[in-house]
Amino acid sequence: MTDVTMQDGPEPKKTRPSVTYVRDKKTKNSVVWMDALAGRVISVGGLFVIATVFAIMFFLIWVAMPLFGTGTASEPHSYKLAEAGGPVISTSLDEYASLGLELSSSGHLTAFHAPSGKRVDDLQFDFAGATPSAFARTLQGDDIAYGFADGSVRLGSLAIETRLVDPKTLPQNLVTLPGGDRTEGHAIYLNVAGDQVRRLAPTLSLEAPVQVALPGAAIRFLDYRVGGTSERPTKIFASVDAAGTARLSAAFAQVNMMTGETSTTLENTEVPTGLDVSSIAEILLNTQGDRLLIVTKDGLIHRYDTRNPKTSHLAETTRILPAGVVPTALAFLNGENSLIVAGSDSSLKIWSLIDRGAKSTSDGKLLTAIHDFGTQKAPITRLNVSQRTRLFIGADAAGTVSLFHATSERHVLTFPDKADAEEVSSLMLAPRDNAVLAIGRNGDVRLWSFDVPHPETTIKTLFGKVWYEGYPEPGYTWQSTSGTDSAEPKLSLVPLIFGTIKGALYSLLFAVPIALLAAIYTAEFLHPRIRAIVKPTMELMASLPSVVIGFVVALVLSPIVENWIAAIVLAFGVVPLTLIGFAFLWQLLPQPLALRLDGIPKLVAFFIGMAVAIWVAVKVGPVLEYAFFGGDFKAWTSGAGSAAPFIFLLILPVTFLATFQIGGRILGAVWRDRLRTKPYHVAGAYELVRWVSFTVAALLLAAGLAYVLGSSGFDARGGIVDTYIQRNTLIASFGMAFAVIPIIYSIAEDALGAVPEHLRSASLGCGATKWQTAAWVILPTAGSGIFSAIMIGLGRAVGETMIVVMATGNTPILDWSLFNGLRALSANINVELPEAVKDSSLYRTLFLCGLVLFVMTFILNTFAEVVRQRFRKRAAQL
Amino acid sequence: MVDMAQTLDNQHDDASNRVKTPAKRFMLTRTKGSDLTARGEPMVWAMGGSLAFGLLMIFGFLALIFSNGLSAFWPKPIEVVTLSSGRIIAGEPMREESYRPTAEQLANLGLPAREKIIANNGFENRTLYRIGNYDFYANDFEWVPDFDIKSKTASKDMMLVERQEWGVFIGNLLSLNDAGSTIAKPDKATLDKAHAKARDLREMRLAIEQGPISDVNHEINEWRLSVRRAEIKHGTGSPEMMAAEEKAAPETAKLTKTFDGLTTQVLSARAAEAAITVSVADIGGDTRDFPLANFVRYYAANDLTLGGKIQIYLSRWWEFLTAEPREANTEGGVWPAIFGTFVMTVVMALLVAPFGVMAALYLREYAKQGRIVSLVRICVNNLAGVPSIVYGVFGLGFFAYVLGGSIDKLFYPEYLPAPTFGTGGLLWAALTLALLTVPVVIVSTEEALASVPRSMREGSLACGASKWQTIRWIVLPRAMPGIMTGLILAMARGAGEVAPLMIVGVVKLAPELPIDAVFPFVHLERSFMHLGFHIFDVGFQSRNSEAGRSMVFVTALVLLALVLVLNTVSIVIRNRLKRRFAGDKF
Repeated sequence: MTDVTMQDGPEPKKTRPSVTYVRDKKTKNSVVWMDALAGRVISVGGLFVIATVFAIMFFLIWVAMPLFGTGTASEPHSYKLAEAGGPVISTSLDEYASLGLELSSSGHLTAFHAPSGKRVDDLQFDFAGATPSAFARTLQGDDIAYGFADGSVRLGSLAIETRLVDPKTLPQNLVTLPGGDRTEGHAIYLNVAGDQVRRLAPTLSLEAPVQVALPGAAIRFLDYRVGGTSERPTKIFASVDAAGTARLSAAFAQVNMMTGETSTTLENTEVPTGLDVSSIAEILLNTQGDRLLIVTKDGLIHRYDTRNPKTSHLAETTRILPAGVVPTALAFLNGENSLIVAGSDSSLKIWSLIDRGAKSTSDGKLLTAIHDFGTQKAPITRLNVSQRTRLFIGADAAGTVSLFHATSERHVLTFPDKADAEEVSSLMLAPRDNAVLAIGRNGDVRLWSFDVPHPETTIKTLFGKVWYEGYPEPGYTWQSTSGTDSAEPKLSLVPLIFGTIKGALYSLLFAVPIALLAAIYTAEFLHPRIRAIVKPTMELMASLPSVVIGFVVALVLSPIVENWIAAIVLAFGVVPLTLIGFAFLWQLLPQPLALRLDGIPKLVAFFIGMAVAIWVAVKVGPVLEYAFFGGDFKAWTSGAGSAAPFIFLLILPVTFLATFQIGGRILGAVWRDRLRTKPYHVAGAYELVRWVSFTVAALLLAAGLAYVLGSSGFDARGGIVDTYIQRNTLIASFGMAFAVIPIIYSIAEDALGAVPEHLRSASLGCGATKWQTAAWVILPTAGSGIFSAIMIGLGRAVGETMIVVMATGNTPILDWSLFNGLRALSANINVELPEAVKDSSLYRTLFLCGLVLFVMTFILNTFAEVVRQRFRKRAAQL
Repeated sequence: MVDMAQTLDNQHDDASNRVKTPAKRFMLTRTKGSDLTARGEPMVWAMGGSLAFGLLMIFGFLALIFSNGLSAFWPKPIEVVTLSSGRIIAGEPMREESYRPTAEQLANLGLPAREKIIANNGFENRTLYRIGNYDFYANDFEWVPDFDIKSKTASKDMMLVERQEWGVFIGNLLSLNDAGSTIAKPDKATLDKAHAKARDLREMRLAIEQGPISDVNHEINEWRLSVRRAEIKHGTGSPEMMAAEEKAAPETAKLTKTFDGLTTQVLSARAAEAAITVSVADIGGDTRDFPLANFVRYYAANDLTLGGKIQIYLSRWWEFLTAEPREANTEGGVWPAIFGTFVMTVVMALLVAPFGVMAALYLREYAKQGRIVSLVRICVNNLAGVPSIVYGVFGLGFFAYVLGGSIDKLFYPEYLPAPTFGTGGLLWAALTLALLTVPVVIVSTEEALASVPRSMREGSLACGASKWQTIRWIVLPRAMPGIMTGLILAMARGAGEVAPLMIVGVVKLAPELPIDAVFPFVHLERSFMHLGFHIFDVGFQSRNSEAGRSMVFVTALVLLALVLVLNTVSIVIRNRLKRRFAGDKF
């Protein structure tokens, strides 16, 4: 294509006489450019594509990595607030960490701007001269209760009222605080995006005193909970008075229909404790009011069952701290199922109420230490828990404040502080888990903001055993979402990886024999012209969309399988037996006829054999079900009847092998010599007799062994079979077989076909039969290729999504039962990712699932590919 | 024979010391006789049986889908069944199965029936009837066991009505009320005429709702966005924003007025539509009035000629292929899903073809062949085996959130916080699938390129052609069959894939098609419907999986047909191109 200027003939009178034949050897510029451009574009584009494909893995890692990170905490905003009326007993912080409240034991409330420490307002609960003797607050700190020396209790609230206001209606006398927020001497005004202003104002309210204890018996301990809905709150509190009487009180607010006034009525019930008031360290009540915990100074916890207030009784007494150790701080975790216990020996543990069928307690439940944070630097004296997650903060005697996470049993971080930090008297974790307010003994206030995005995930929580609240023992659990906010998210990948492997293995158990046997037959026995039809037909199966397979298997097949489950289980024995029976019948044919029928007729015979085998299974199934499983296989899987029948089925292959091996050893040579003199079909008849007798022997042996094993307590139920569930692993495996069989078949057939033809010819030429050639020459040569076919099939089974989603119940459980569901990594991603909030722990964990899946399949495939390439090279050299 | 023995003897001479005994044995077995173990008949049958089983699997599967899919729309007769309790039901028999009555049911049975079941190993037949009338019974399917049937009849009057809402109605037509006048027991022609009128009214109303009203809404929204754009660009309260607001206000007011006018029109059309009603009664005699416009199709099921049946069958297929779904996707058509699948597959092919071919050309023609390239090749090969869901995860995280989020911030700030590209959509789905299928294209293209003989390249270069010219005119045409095969197989895989799409943009009901008459005509950011997801959704997430079952079968049939056609086309193309270039070999 180079541009060549040709010399034209009829131009002799040219002015340039010296030129005769000019040949411009220069390539056209456009061609050069085009070439360079194409080279550049292709190289860049090609590298880009390849890089993109590899970027997938790095992106997955990039998204999943923050799961294992810790987090950061700012340097503290530190300032001093003037003390007002006694020690600080409670502190609150609003959702935006802007307005702080500090409540003193005398009922004085200081509202201050949290970032700067500027005092905004002072308020005072009016106790009408009474002296508070006890104080309690709810988890949020919005509702409080004071107990008084005269035995009365006053309930109240200190809330931070938050609302958006129109900037045009702001008060005039606003003072700007450091940081741009403003105040008018009562509320704080924050600027928010979209030209709006958020007003945060402290509000106080106090109900009339209610007499709980006998007049004059001071309330010593108090705990207060508010449950129910915001329209109809249920307020309950527990108290212990100076006389040592413990009471549970429920306050009902009633609105008078006539006057519109609210009056509070009180229902008091005494809880019999028999404890000396001076020994009590703290009392704790749960929101339902059905559990009262009294912790004594000698490290014992007394749990009272108050489900029915009339019959309140001591349910359990458990030692939570060693003798001589005093509890220094106690708090319920969010959800109130677990108790954080800090002791004077610097220990920090979490105790949870767990149903263990204990004899020592009245309800079988037992407080159990489920998390141990080890020995802290100094005893933890103050605790505060998150209102949304399992985070909590603790301040130790040296004034150091640390952040912990319960589920991951992790000391997440220590907040940076000056060396001589004051001991903390009150502590608050901001509602959004992003700031901590600590108030020191002498009014030293510190405010940290922190960012710990994924405290609940560590290598251990993702891959190790974790003891979750309310679980009888540590385990692997996946339960990402739940109905309530206070539920503990459980993100263990182990059940998912297990489910993936379980599904893949069972489906391979089913698919590999079929695919390989079919591949060998196709490659070695079929006429090339039939092979050219059969192979693409089988490969067509690979192109069936998996959603269609999933639908057919889950909605059409699973009810049928459920009806015919006994027949199907038995078919695994009946079908091969029937087929082999056909083989022995075929041997009865005289040799010339057998040879004549070897092509298509024999192929048709296989179909007939298979059809008959399936028909036999269907007919015999119910009969055998009556004989073996008491007529109802599903009931049998749930535990009815004897274990022996299934063991019989399980050990059948073993006894078969054993019988035929042993029989062959003993009789083999003699038998063969005897047969050799007979014509083929006669020999076939003898063989049939031998096979039938061996089969009967194998069946009898299996039955005997099953009886022995069954009566010695061995039972497959609870292992590989268990209660039948309609969508189960068996169904899913069958569905996945549709996806896996064609892949293994196709690659294995290719591998067999790639064995050089001269090996085949040599073997056949030496007089070996086709079967001998296939078994002893072709198979060993193609072994590595077949192995890689299985590996690639396994990779496909591991990653299959839709079939697993549809055909299994997606239950993340750890058991091997064939009749139970499973949840695979892929299905898990598919089910949960559309709902996951971007950048949440669940979102990143699902990316981690993707990464695990990617790595699993990548390793499998690479391994298979390397083996295959080696096989190809070797085959080429043969 | 002699030769053979000779050869064998020679062999033995070579290694006579080592293999003397085996040689003897070998000679022994040469004697004529029947050694059945050599034939391995049981193993041959195991292999042949496996092959037969595999083929039965695929044929059984295809037969199931095709028979159910093709027969789903065929009008079935309506049977009136009197149950042993005296209750009468009328319905279409959908299918029969053999099941096991519970012990409790058996206990309540009469002796002969019970004995019959016990004799049948505890199995009994039952028939599933579609009794319809969900608004009457809150249940539209019923299993009727054989022992429960007292008598079965077929009434010529029984009508089957497919409705816009509430699924089918099965019962009798009592009268037609058209704007006050009542005709009892209307004949087919009268009914057809009234129905055509009611449907026309409905069409007109829908035309207003989907045409002018939606346009006006769109315009109002555009004006609002123009203000927001000015606000983002120039700041709140800036003169530009004020100007935009001033410009938008009268236009919006005008549009709102138009909108109100149109709404009145729609309301009056609705009233006219509602005036044409029919009174119907179910088999139990429960009478109700329905607006006739709600009837999609009706026929007296037991009074149909073959021609009538064919007509209904075809009209149902036509509706299925061209109409929008109704009744939570369990009825109506799948046109949006077909269109969505098609558009997504085409966009995917447009993305994957140039890039896949480019990558393969680079690997085969430009890169220096060495260890690294063969390593890359292994990796690319393996990526074809990475689960599709992993690509879906990547597509959501990277394309939708990272890439789409950035696009939104740059180009569509006025829509925020509602995402435009920052969520799943057609483009991201197509890109994800392109990524998923690119290894397939690379591998097949590479194989095709490798199969072009070296001599042809050398010949071209020797004639003075440049490298690109050689590739363009010599290599690529020869490799085309392979490339096309790979591409079509990739399309087939992409069309059938669902799992990643569920994460990156497929929805159960998309309000708008990805291509329409509104500028810029192709809306790649829109979420879309997909046949595969339709199957999953209707089969697994609808109110009553039984109601959607036949729909799922037909959808599966369409999807399967699409995939099979693509596969077949790839094979045909490969064979044809192969033949075309067969003579070109040197």
